[in-house]
Amino acid sequence: MRAVVVAAALLSVLPPYRLSAQDSTRIAEAQSVLAQLVETYGVSGAEGPVREAVKRLLPSWAKSETDTAGNLWVRVGQGSPVVVVIAHLDEIGFRVTGIRDDGTLELETRGGFISSLFEAKPALVHTDQGDIAGVFLPRDSGFTRHTPPPLRVDVGAGSRAKAMARGVSPGQTVTMPKQYVRLSGTRATGRSFDDRVGATAQLVALRRLDRAALKHQVIFIWSVREEIGLEGAAAAATALGTTPRRVHAIDTFVSADSPIELPNFAVAPIGRGAVARALDNSSITPPAYVDSLVQVARARGVALQVGTTNGGNDGSEFTPYGVVDVPIGWPLRYSHSPAEVIDLKDVVSLADMIRAVAETW
Amino acid sequence: MLSISTMRRTGGLVDGRTAKAGLLACVFLSALPPVRLFAQGDLDRLALRFASMTAVTGLEQAMVDSLRALFPGSTRDHVGNVTLTLGQGSPKRLFTCPLDEVGYVVGNILPDGFLLLRRVGGGGAGRTASPLFDQQLEGHRVTVFGARGAVPGVVAVKSTHLTRGRSAPGTPDPVFTVDNAYVDVGATSAAEAQGLGIAVLAPVSLAKRPQLYGERLLAAPVAGRRAACAALAAAVQAKPKVKGTVVVAFTVQSLYTSNAGLASVKALLGPFDDTKTAALPARYADTAVETVALADADRLVREILQWMEGR
Repeated sequence: MRAVVVAAALLSVLPPYRLSAQDSTRIAEAQSVLAQLVETYGVSGAEGPVREAVKRLLPSWAKSETDTAGNLWVRVGQGSPVVVVIAHLDEIGFRVTGIRDDGTLELETRGGFISSLFEAKPALVHTDQGDIAGVFLPRDSGFTRHTPPPLRVDVGAGSRAKAMARGVSPGQTVTMPKQYVRLSGTRATGRSFDDRVGATAQLVALRRLDRAALKHQVIFIWSVREEIGLEGAAAAATALGTTPRRVHAIDTFVSADSPIELPNFAVAPIGRGAVARALDNSSITPPAYVDSLVQVARARGVALQVGTTNGGNDGSEFTPYGVVDVPIGWPLRYSHSPAEVIDLKDVVSLADMIRAVAETW
Repeated sequence: MLSISTMRRTGGLVDGRTAKAGLLACVFLSALPPVRLFAQGDLDRLALRFASMTAVTGLEQAMVDSLRALFPGSTRDHVGNVTLTLGQGSPKRLFTCPLDEVGYVVGNILPDGFLLLRRVGGGGAGRTASPLFDQQLEGHRVTVFGARGAVPGVVAVKSTHLTRGRSAPGTPDPVFTVDNAYVDVGATSAAEAQGLGIAVLAPVSLAKRPQLYGERLLAAPVAGRRAACAALAAAVQAKPKVKGTVVVAFTVQSLYTSNAGLASVKALLGPFDDTKTAALPARYADTAVETVALADADRLVREILQWMEGR
């Protein structure tokens, strides 16, 4: 026991991430992109920093454009049928709705999550002049309940005037500090893997894309405001109308791969590849298209699982225009928590699926 | 506001009630200028450093080693306390700071690589933890201190999406307890977890990421204790000209059963003519954002120096 403790690091501050000697080039590539995106903040409606990070990580040949909604577009190839691939930039969090006399900030949630996970934890208020540190206040009553009352943030100001003098104002977004951290093997933890993994997979696919192989145009979109109602995707779908034939939402497959989840559905273990998200709360993929996707995966030797889970996806905004939604996800543990867990092998698999779909389907 | 608590020696034993009352007693500072100089920046760095450490009660070895490195010439007794003696002669006095915290150890390793936990401390003997203490683990990163170093992990939480539609309005909303804590270090088997150096009894705590905010406010688990210990350390580093003998003790096991750490110091190095314990007022106590004002720690350093020098 003594040896155990002596050997333990004095600090629990760990290197944010490391490249294991066993990491393949593909795993290292995925991690290098993902870590940068995960450690960038972008609550729904304030995705600017993430969008800029994606732009920096695009291959040099890619020409991007940002639409009026804030979505980032990259068009590759020519001709019909047009295929859309879409992952979202935003993450869950809070927005400041008011400042009390004592300087504490009132909040509204942006997206759905378990609010107790933020209670009594460090906070960051994101302003144009930089982040302001604070804390999410612990409750002062209701100690027998799991769920806290609406959360507030203390930035240590002491008064409304001092809080505003520090640059805090209503409308700003609030999150907690986050860090990408490697776990055992090829697994990793962090917050906002949903949907930075999707954004990463699209970037990696673009970098590796054989543009000469494309037989039609593929539009890569990094969308905004997914977590608060698929708003960015709705704008993109309206702009494209009936032009696309298919849309592939590249988003989380919320997995029940955990000892505390029910195994009724959503059973897609992490580390076993991307997932055809064939049925969720927003869309049902026609079975023939699921079969085609499986065939594409087999032809390319890409690991692909098939399953059903909860949640909505950006592609569902395209279906009213006659566009078939064939979402492709990756399994995620503990979704919308500060400690989401993935397996980097699935990120590689997801990128390979996107590339295969673009080049061969 | 800060406090230095006073514990009166009672025949070589500490009266627990008196000690507790002493811990709570606040001594307001006079406006006297400090005689010994200490750098505010050094104190802040020490406070941040101490707040980032983990010292689960009874398993404080790593922090103890760090303190010994900080103070060459200090000693570690068999219980684990770090002590150093300043000055000589009478009176012989003791200044202490408890460095331990309520935490966890690995209680079991499951075949699929998940870890289960047992809480250490906070069960009532030393100090009862908040009803929400364990809930702070849920869905957050933890550190497992294994034989091969610190291992990052997370405590499992139900995915928001998969809870939808599965509970009716008005259903019970019980708090999360340690019995629900499954630690995921990314291992897929017990053998993989063990290969990381993890075994039963390995200490576990929330990942420590101290946060500075406002005007030198420090937020971290047990920030009050760590900032108080930092103040004591800063006072020692200021090389006070002590009156008589002052034994400085960073004590262990204050939160478990009989406060064996402090009792051991008294038994081994006492008797003492006077005993004081460093303490600071803290907001949001027992949470991951327990907050202390480092300005209070500045004042505590000055007060400790005055006491040591007999002024």
